[in-house]
Amino acid sequence: MTWQTFAFVLIAGFAFSYSGLKFKTLFELMRKHQGTSPKLDRIPERIQTAIANVLGQSAVNRKQPIGLLHTVIFWGFIIISIGTVEQFASTIHSAANFEFIGLGNYALLVRIQDFFTTAILVAVLGAFYRRIVVQPAGLGVSKDANVVLTFTGTLMVAILLMNAFFIVGHNPPYAASMPVSNALAGVIRGYGFSQTTNQVLFTAWKWIHMLLVLGFSMYIPSSKHLHILAAGPNTFLRKLDRAKAMRPIDFTNESLTQYGAAKITDFSWKDTLDYYSCTECGRCQDLCPAWNTGKELSPKKLIVDLKSNLYQNKSAILSGKSEEVGPIVDGKITEGVIWACTSCRACEVACPVFIEHTDKIYETRRNLVMMESKFPAEVQTVFKNMETNYSPWAFAASDRANWAEGLEVKTMAEVGSADGVDVLLWVGCAGSFDDRNKKVLRSFVSLLKKASVKFAILGTEEQCTGDAARRIGNEYLFQTLATANIETLNRYAVKKVVTACPHCFNILKNEYKDFGGKYEVVHHSQYISQMIREGKLKPAANLSAKVTFHDSCYLGRWNNVYDQPRAVLEAVPGLQLVEMKNNHDQSMCCGAGGGRMWMEETVGKRVNITRTEQALETGASVIAAACPFCMTMMNDGVKAKDKQDSVKVMDLAELMDQATT
Amino acid sequence: MAKILIVAEHRDGKLKKSTFELVGASASAGNETHVALLGEGVADLAKEIGNYGANKVHVAQSAALKLYNAEAYTGVLAELAKGISPDVILASHTPTGRDFMPRLARRLDVGLASDCVTLAFEGTGIKVRRPVYSGKATAEVEFLGSGPRMATIRANALGLGKPDAGKSAESITATANVGETKTKTTDVVKGSSARPDVTEAAIVVSGGRALKGAENFKIIEEMADVLGAAVGASRAAVDAGYRPHRDQVGQTGKVVSPALYIACGISGAIQHLAGMRTSKTIVAINTDAEAPIYQIADYGVVGDLFQVVPALTDEFKKIKEH
Repeated sequence: MTWQTFAFVLIAGFAFSYSGLKFKTLFELMRKHQGTSPKLDRIPERIQTAIANVLGQSAVNRKQPIGLLHTVIFWGFIIISIGTVEQFASTIHSAANFEFIGLGNYALLVRIQDFFTTAILVAVLGAFYRRIVVQPAGLGVSKDANVVLTFTGTLMVAILLMNAFFIVGHNPPYAASMPVSNALAGVIRGYGFSQTTNQVLFTAWKWIHMLLVLGFSMYIPSSKHLHILAAGPNTFLRKLDRAKAMRPIDFTNESLTQYGAAKITDFSWKDTLDYYSCTECGRCQDLCPAWNTGKELSPKKLIVDLKSNLYQNKSAILSGKSEEVGPIVDGKITEGVIWACTSCRACEVACPVFIEHTDKIYETRRNLVMMESKFPAEVQTVFKNMETNYSPWAFAASDRANWAEGLEVKTMAEVGSADGVDVLLWVGCAGSFDDRNKKVLRSFVSLLKKASVKFAILGTEEQCTGDAARRIGNEYLFQTLATANIETLNRYAVKKVVTACPHCFNILKNEYKDFGGKYEVVHHSQYISQMIREGKLKPAANLSAKVTFHDSCYLGRWNNVYDQPRAVLEAVPGLQLVEMKNNHDQSMCCGAGGGRMWMEETVGKRVNITRTEQALETGASVIAAACPFCMTMMNDGVKAKDKQDSVKVMDLAELMDQATT
Repeated sequence: MAKILIVAEHRDGKLKKSTFELVGASASAGNETHVALLGEGVADLAKEIGNYGANKVHVAQSAALKLYNAEAYTGVLAELAKGISPDVILASHTPTGRDFMPRLARRLDVGLASDCVTLAFEGTGIKVRRPVYSGKATAEVEFLGSGPRMATIRANALGLGKPDAGKSAESITATANVGETKTKTTDVVKGSSARPDVTEAAIVVSGGRALKGAENFKIIEEMADVLGAAVGASRAAVDAGYRPHRDQVGQTGKVVSPALYIACGISGAIQHLAGMRTSKTIVAINTDAEAPIYQIADYGVVGDLFQVVPALTDEFKKIKEH
């Protein structure tokens, strides 16, 4: 046993014990979480997504050039780790090297390692350049990141110099297979050091390298670099479908003493894995409509702050003193943060490691609303209206069907059962009461009639779907409305529903399932697009207008519907579709989602103004919307920019109605 | 006939009309009418209360009562009520009345009917009605159990009787033992506007984004001042910074239902309608004849508000002068 073996075993033993204990704590913290665990189903799909996004780096590479740099570092590290393992092994026992694979193979191995060591070094320099010179907004200044990059860069330099001194000292037969190290060796030879000096310097760089690796292993657990271990499992455990439902609360369970999340431990262990996976890349923040308009909320900061809340409460959590665990809404995460979210899910779409930011906000809102009765004052009116009038606006429920007067639209009560119609038209509160959106509904009815579709409405039996109540956190009110609606829909044996409101669409399609309401639900953009494909609608009139389409979050990011609305627009003769800079899943929210429609927006710039400016930049004369809330927000934006004389906000149905006879 | 105790309300050395309404209603129904007058240097006000038919005015004076303070009022009134043992305690449904009456009711351990719009005396009790569901229905309230019946009555609900200089009340000095309070009122800072609050005014004149600037709200303010009205604004006008948020009428602002609502340059988006559609009479002034506001307006003027509003203001002035 040489002194090197002895020293290495001692130091490595210490380093691995230290980080092992740290990891144990992180694992224990996960286990102490009370929230509902995610379902571990569809394993083949999970393996597939893990291969694509971890090994294939697919999500990371959506953003360039940093995606490429990350891929180089990721794969580079896997490959050079073979060398590190070899080095650790041969330090313990000199014969435990990998030369047994044969000279040819070994030469290939060191060639690849030499290449990737250099590639990583270049990528790290690129990453440094990005952080220090380019300074992308979402990244911010991070000491942690700079430490990690310095570690990594020095590590690569150490490997190259170690190899170079080895070549100088031993002149191995595979020296030419390591062009970079070999070139460095040439430079070193020029200095004409003695063999002893070369040997000492080789040993020094080897130890620098090994100590860096061991030091790194101790640093990782408490650093954001923890993502190298957490992001993989997090990707495997991700929600597989873009469409998702909020978690229902079982109000019949009388043993529940709390609704929503008040403390960090009220979330699930998977939420904790989310924090561990976050590497603070800031892609979520870059796309966040709240952050981009000066609100307190940054999805990145939310995750970082939740993680810091977890660590702050570490000892109370681990010792099981749950009463000593502090609240989620602490100094860092304010109520302003929680209420600023529009539930647009741009953060979740952007996240390369599949963190789910919005569910944490919904759960916290539930607690604020149902346990603490803390919410923006103006929301009180909305709740009250939903309770008494079944609509967020205080209009009489008996007037719900008035919009259809003179249109000869049948109600389900008149038809008797869903068997008598092709589809049920779900009108929604905006379509029923908002004068602007009544026009949209009238246009859509006109289209249905042109295509000879047999349809009916629920009329005064329809109630608000409860989307806003649910997103704001009043799950109880939501379930009251949902139960009533499902009872009505099931009584008429409704199977297919079409609606012009993406919020109703999402709730009816994805969230009523949990309460016994299973229907085929389509958005009117999908229905219109299908009527065109089937030749039932023949757009003929030339509209000759430049139109830009504003993606609704609940249509796009919540349900992956991007193409059909565009197909509808493109079917209109003479219509020129132009895209805003932010479109499809990179689109920006209008500011109305997540119940924000019903709250005042007094902090920063208004979201709808920013989005309207993006729409106006295209030079379009029509902003096409497919959602009543987007319509309202964009309309207000156009008026605020004094462009109402030159730019119109129109729904797809209205444009198509104009184009058809 | 009942023994009634009315809490007088005054500001800047002047009694509020709503106090006279209560005193008049109680006295004309033949009740033994007591009035509690709290403050400092307010003894002279007792005479005017007597003119409306009160029998006795209990004057409680203390430096701590100079400026209204809920705790001080509650303490003094509770003691006074115990001494008088009235059948009924009344106050106006004003911000002050809304503040101390619930506290007093708790202290006396009895119920309170707030925001009543009718008041009838029956034997030693009262019957009141109060609006529910944003005024869509009226509920009649009956009092159960023992102890004084307490109610706050909306201003202007009873009507003001004529004072009679021949009538006078006996002025009694009451103890004003304020004692320890957790809060102390040190100053009353007036809001910048002398106009009524939008939620309380009988008439509201509102402006929208069509006013094109904060300075142009002058014409709205002028009309409001002539009518004694409050100034309201649409969300768009507030967002544009023309008016403070407290003036905002609509879904996310104030919900108003005045006798007369004049909407100037407001198109009537649902956000706004949600806050004013229950107004009794709605007048709309807008250049766009298609604006949704006309669907709910009782009267509409299609025209430029910069011409229509000043012209209307002039006409209102003429009517007032005659």
